[in-house]
Amino acid sequence: MSLSTKFGDRRGALAAVVTVVLLVLGGGILARAATAPGPPPQPDSSQASAAAPTPATSDPAPAESTAPTAAPEAVVPASDFGTLMAPSAPVALRIPSIKVSTKGLVDLNLDDKGELEAPRDAQRAGWYVGGPTPGEFGPAVIAAHVDSSRIPAVFYNLGRLKKGAKAIVDRKDGTTATFVVDRVARYPKAKFPTAEVYGDTAGRAELRLITCGGEIDPRTGHYADNVVAYAHLVG
Amino acid sequence: MRTTIKLGTATLGSALLLTLGAGMAQAATSADGNTMAKLRPVALNGVDASGTAMVTVTGNRIDVTMAASGLLADSPHAAHIHFGAEARNECPTASDDKDGNGTLNTTEGGPAYGPIVVSLTKSGDTSPKSALAIDRFDTAPGGKISYERGSINVSSDVAAAISAGKSAVVVHGVDHNDNGKYDGETKSELDPKLPTEATDPAICGVLASAPSGGVQTGGGGTADNNQALGLALGGGLLLAAMGTGAFATRKVTNRI
Ligand SMILES: [Cu+2]
Repeated sequence: MSLSTKFGDRRGALAAVVTVVLLVLGGGILARAATAPGPPPQPDSSQASAAAPTPATSDPAPAESTAPTAAPEAVVPASDFGTLMAPSAPVALRIPSIKVSTKGLVDLNLDDKGELEAPRDAQRAGWYVGGPTPGEFGPAVIAAHVDSSRIPAVFYNLGRLKKGAKAIVDRKDGTTATFVVDRVARYPKAKFPTAEVYGDTAGRAELRLITCGGEIDPRTGHYADNVVAYAHLVG
Repeated sequence: MRTTIKLGTATLGSALLLTLGAGMAQAATSADGNTMAKLRPVALNGVDASGTAMVTVTGNRIDVTMAASGLLADSPHAAHIHFGAEARNECPTASDDKDGNGTLNTTEGGPAYGPIVVSLTKSGDTSPKSALAIDRFDTAPGGKISYERGSINVSSDVAAAISAGKSAVVVHGVDHNDNGKYDGETKSELDPKLPTEATDPAICGVLASAPSGGVQTGGGGTADNNQALGLALGGGLLLAAMGTGAFATRKVTNRI
């Protein structure tokens, strides 16, 4: 505060400084709040259930023209299980219909409560290293933030994802795993369907895309729900 | 001035950090569970194969699905769930090669994954008694295994060990000399009628528990009530600025 004393009137100068600070902070926060993109989109209930489990028949689902319809599996399954790929870690994720394109996926592990940790960086998606790599048999899991404390993050638009949309994972070995979305659902975190999300995928290579959704729980300051997109490998 | 602003943002920053802080969904706790093993080549045995096994535990019942590829084609592959209370509950490493012959046989893997507790046969008995029931295991057409078997009964101890992430899935059968079949002078330590190639561990993975609960993937910056908070906070600070500003002005006026 030697600066203020120089000017003689300590309190006046301090008040001026405080004023500037408040103006800057207040104005900034106000501007941000006013121009904010609004709460993240939430999945429509019509997206929550999968199309009839019968594979490769004409999909009775969505009138979503943006998303290419689930292409009938072109690759011939090796056995009674569907298309499967050799293990290779994901390096990038693209979901054209909701304009997601993210590189440099981080590794996600379980925390000491056995829960999946979220990426530290809100602008990066993460892959659960304890699960299969995308394209392998089982549910590969990619999670990303819906927003940071200030701005939208990688999976801001996940709730807008529609059945039939494609999610494309570029892998370390140079190959690409293409998945088609089966459904998108929202669950209260307290009733998260662990078995459905992380459990057996009945012979298919699948992908789970997870982010936050719903309302902010005022007690925790966190979103009350998770949005989960379920997809399966087509090639 | 710089210090003052820094202080201001620091305070605001920690307020935001507080909102970001702890708190998560409750984890379901039960002996039931979903487990998954990433099957990877067993050390030293040089099999370029991989796969995934998923085991769902419901009481004393387990349901198993497993896919693998890259195995010796059209040859029986014994597959088991291994668990030992005394074992390390992991897949063997090169240091488990007790006889130093450069490969690992099933027994050498014992200290890592323990004894057989479930035989993943395609039909009939699934107990350790069927450990080498070669005619009832998958023969990996094209080197691939697509295995599904539900309602296998296990003891409570085994169910608990699997749920706790302590068991391992091991698929056996290694073509060490790459001649397309199980052969060789060395006999299996488990059954002298079989070559060791038929029983050596090929791929292995620990059945780890699936994540519990959801994921904390939101900072809340775009949520409705946070925007309201932003408006209120921002507006409030502006009002406060008006107040201190007026104070400063008055001081200046007074001086003149
Ligand atoms: Cu075994």
